This record gives sequence, structure tokens and C-alpha cells, in this order.
Amino acid sequence: MRPARLHGGPQPPPRHASLNQALEQAAASGRRGLTFVAADESETTLGWDALRARAARVAGALASLGVRPGERVALVLPTGPEFMDAFFGTLLAGAVPVPLYPPVRLGRLPEYHASTARMLRLSGAVVLLSDGRVGRLLGEAVRLAGPRLGLRSVASVRESGAAPLAHPAEPGALALVQFSSGSTVDPKPVALSHRGVLAQTDALRMLMPADTPEDPQLGVSWLPLYHDMGLIGCLLSAVTYPGPLVLIGPEAFLGRPALWLRALSRHGGTMSVAPSFGFAVCARRIRDEEMEGVDLSRWRLALNGAEQVSVPAASRFSERFARWGFRPAALMPVYGLAEAALAVTFSPPRSPLRTVPVDPVELAREGRVRPGGRILASVGSPLPGTAVEVRDERGAVVPEGVVGRIHARGPSMMEGYLGQPEATRAVLDDGWLDTGDLGFVHAGELVVCGRVKDVVVLRGANHSPQEFEDALDGVRGVRTGCAVALGFVPAAGDGEELLLLVETTPEATADLVDRIRAAVAERTGVRPHTVELLLPGTLPRTSSGKLRRSEALRRWTTGTLHPPAPVNAVRLMGAMLRSALALARARAQPEVET
Amino acid sequence: MATELEVLETIRSIARTELEMERTISPGDDLLRDLALDSLGLTVLAVGLENRFRVKLSEDDAAGVQTVGDLARHVAARTEEAR
Repeated sequence: MRPARLHGGPQPPPRHASLNQALEQAAASGRRGLTFVAADESETTLGWDALRARAARVAGALASLGVRPGERVALVLPTGPEFMDAFFGTLLAGAVPVPLYPPVRLGRLPEYHASTARMLRLSGAVVLLSDGRVGRLLGEAVRLAGPRLGLRSVASVRESGAAPLAHPAEPGALALVQFSSGSTVDPKPVALSHRGVLAQTDALRMLMPADTPEDPQLGVSWLPLYHDMGLIGCLLSAVTYPGPLVLIGPEAFLGRPALWLRALSRHGGTMSVAPSFGFAVCARRIRDEEMEGVDLSRWRLALNGAEQVSVPAASRFSERFARWGFRPAALMPVYGLAEAALAVTFSPPRSPLRTVPVDPVELAREGRVRPGGRILASVGSPLPGTAVEVRDERGAVVPEGVVGRIHARGPSMMEGYLGQPEATRAVLDDGWLDTGDLGFVHAGELVVCGRVKDVVVLRGANHSPQEFEDALDGVRGVRTGCAVALGFVPAAGDGEELLLLVETTPEATADLVDRIRAAVAERTGVRPHTVELLLPGTLPRTSSGKLRRSEALRRWTTGTLHPPAPVNAVRLMGAMLRSALALARARAQPEVET
Repeated sequence: MATELEVLETIRSIARTELEMERTISPGDDLLRDLALDSLGLTVLAVGLENRFRVKLSEDDAAGVQTVGDLARHVAARTEEAR
């Protein structure tokens, strides 16, 4: 069997020294820039040159405020021109933007304050930029974290009258910090250099269709700009390409998913990316009337990533929108993670979805691929310049068709977790990133099938399992500290869902599952898909008593998650007898190959 | 302006069509505990109400809004202000 090792071919030579230089070139290119689509479909445009001019004013103001090159500037802003002012203004000041997520409407605020304060501290942000509306809610987080220059509104900074500034940046300098997970428990600040981000956008560019006057390329995105896929995959790709990008706020999309497909049609969009759930939401919630006159036939790359791809959801989308010109071959599963700047692998463009039918129990039990009822999607091969290996626990490369940990190496890997050398060493070794994801190589392509790192990915957002486990504190009938939260993909579902395996006490009542669901939904804002109640001692633990989450999932999947057998005299006798018999038999017979 | 009852009906309709909820919804239901709305569900609900009643619900509106009834009252009061 061939070893599970893939390489994406040579990395293209760098086209820019820094994002700052890329922005200068975009501004000088005369190419169309950004278009913002509001919930009522009214549009505002911002050309690259205007964007650059506004950013230079913000940069000058930040410098005169006391922001020094290399320092971090946090931003909490909705998708709109002010996000661009703050993000690119920070870059042009020679500083490092750290986009953070905004609060959810009608959501609970105390958790938001705590996690925002934590991310401000971890990133070492010296100031937090926001707008008047969201800014009113950030006082508490700023009070808790105490950034040196406090909280400022972008408008006040931009209009301060300081002279414009456009600081150059070194290729090896820190370009931005993005958080791998937004939870209160364990957010990790991923530090990316200019060189790394540009290596990613250069590699992506090679996979995009050529831009010609007859076939102009245009991107459309509703993804949040505080995550790699929206920020690097869409916005920074558009800057470095350079080319036009139509942006819809994530909230506007969730409120009315048709906005996305309508914008693609109206602008002749050729490229767009979304997590699996985004495609599922469209197939379910868009009404035929909303699609009147819509033509999706120009949409060439419909990238599907950021969470495990659900093949049923992808097929439902393709079938539903074929009537409006959607081409099934446009749907391309991709795989990546914040620590790799964004993408690691890409499906070949314009080819049908490649799927592998596997037996899920066999896969979990033996780590081997045998045909079965669960359909997994191939996520393709590595980006140019990137290599992938699937390794076993000892670090040896496994053969094709065997499940192992996915490792990746390439020019866009992170510099490390900012200020966390130990956490960095745990995942980065000799340029190889341990992704913490499980997968196998099949027919020369990577298939992702699970995860060993303790992360639950829901609707494209990473959550720490502890966030959900902590939410069970004080729920009567739950054994304290004896529950694990896991992500799993239900057979016919739209994508990854939350699974809770919970050990109970004798106080457990008939409504315990409902009470667990309510407690988790209330405290974390996520509704568990499945809650499984277990007898005490059922969850696998390490010798030191720590819960083994991925082993628990493996046993749950294979139907081998059993409570410990009660030990009594009769059982003990039986066990001794069996082992004595086995020993006798082994002695009597020569070794048999099994 | 909209009455609480109209807002309540809209909440029911959003829950049925956009959130695909099958349970009946009464004013006493807790948005998080009983309807188990997650951040996505809350956003869909908020945006749906904003579009229908032409009001803006901000994040700090959550402070006094716990139940469906609270939300209906709140949105009705907002449409009153907006008049």
C-alpha cells in the first residue's frame, strides 16, 4: 500500500511583499473594489483606491493616538466600510489587526463580555475599535481587559484630522491574529505573518478561474470577517487578486438566505464559499418566489468548507437550485483550519463531488476504510506549496485507506499561537502542523472523517467542548465533571452537531434529557442534537482519571460504550476460569494467524 | 404601530416557517430554555421581526427580554417609538 502522503506541487512565487503593498497595488489597479449589500438589497460601493485613502487616514490617526508598529489593534465591527477602515487602517499603521466577533442580538451578554475580555488580553490588544452601536456593549469587556488606549469608534478615529500614513511592512512581520475558537474556555490567538497570508492567497489564486474581459471573475460572500474563510479566503483574496467582491453581512444572510443567491445572480458572481450549513439553510428556507429571475449559471466555484461537509446537504442544494442554473460540478469541498491561515486542500475545480462510501462502525473501530452506508466527501488534494501526511499515534505515515491524524506543512502555516510557546510546540513540529483532525487518503485525495483535538465545530464556528460540559454544572441528576461534549455528523444531517454523553446520578429524573438541553441552550446558545445518558463509570478515562473525549466518541459510534461490569465473586471466578482455559489452549496449539 | 398580538403572531410564523418549529408557542415560553433558540435561531428571529416591523433590535435589548411575551411587548413598544 502506498503511504498516505500528498503534495500540491510548487508554490507560486510571491506577488507582494506584504498586505500593505497588495493594497497599494489594488488601489492603483483601477479594478472594482467592494460592494456591500444591505438586508433590503440596497448597495454601497467602496473602490480599492477610496478604501486605501480612508485606511491611510485611520492609520495616521492610530499612530498619533500612540499605536506603535507591531502592536495589536482589536476590532469588533459588522461587515461594512468601517470594518475596512479599521482593518486596513491598522495594517497601514504597521500594526496588527485582531478581528473579534460581535455580540448576538437577543443573546446573553455576560458570556460575551468574558470571552471578549479574554481575547483582548490574549492578543495583547492596545486599543479596541468599534462603531457607535456595538461600542455601547463593549465597555464591560474593555473594563475587564484594560487595553492601554481603551475603546474608540472608527468614525472618531477617521475624522480626527491626522495626516494620512502608509507604513510598509516586512514579509516576515506579523500581519494579523485570528482566534481559532471563540469560546470563553480556550480561545487560541493564531499569529499569521504577511508572507504566510500571501502564500495562502497566491495559492488560492492559482485554483481560481482566469479573469478575462469575456469571463470576468467576481466573488460574493456573507461569511463573517472575523474568521479565516471570510477574511482571508474572500476579503484578502480580493485585495491581492485584485478583483471585485460583493459582501453581505452574516446576519442579513441568516435573516434571508436568498440574499446570497440573488446577489450572485445580480452581479454575475463566479466564486463563493460557505460552510456546509449555509448550503443546507438555503435548500430549506429559500422560497421559489424569492428565486424569480435568478440565474446561477455563472457560479463556477461553490466552495464548501469550515466544517465537515455533509454530502446529503450538498446534494439537496444541488438538486434544489439546478432549476436556476446551478451546476452541481461547482460544489467543491475544501478543508482547512485557522492555524494554516485557511485552506489545506481543495477539490479539483469543475468536477463532480467525489464521495467515498464507508462503513462508519468499521471506520471508528479499526480505522480502516471498508465500503458501507455512510457517504463521506473527498476534500481534494493539497494547495500548491502544501504537503499533507496522515500519521499514526507514533508519528509514522500510515498507508492509504487507513485513518490517522492529518498533518500539513506549507508556507501559510501560522507562526504560532501568540505568546503561547507551549501550545505552539504541541501542534507545530519542524514545520509540520498537527491539525488534530482525522482522515485518510483515498484515490490520491484526502477525506476528513473525524477529530482527535477537543473542538466542536458547529456551523463553521469552533467551540471548546468544555464550554458545553461546564454548562451542565448544577443540573440535578448529572454526575459532576462526568460528561463529554463532542461534535458528530448525523447520517442524514446538514453538518456537524453537538452530542453530549452524560453520566447520571441516582437523582436523574425522566425529564433529565430535556433539562440538560435547556441548560446547555440557555448557557451556551447551542442546542444539543443528541443527549445520551450513561451509568456512572461508562466514559473512558486516562489512568489519571481525565475523560478521553475522542475515545468516548469512537465507542459511542461503534456501539461499544458500556458501563463497567459490576465486580462480584461469581464474575471474578468466571473471568479467572476463562483466562486459565485460554492459557491452556494457547499452550496446546501452535500460534494461529488471525 | 403594531400590537403585541400582531408581534406574537409574527413570532409564531417565523418559528414555523423559518425555524421549522412544530411546537405551539405561548407568551410564557422562555426563548432560550423552552424554545431552545441558539445564536443562529435568535438572529433569525431578530432579523425577521426587524424586517416585518421596521424596527432595529440591538444586542442590549436582551437585558429585559426573556420570554416570547417580553419580546412581543418590546417590539410593540419599539414600533410605537418609531412612529
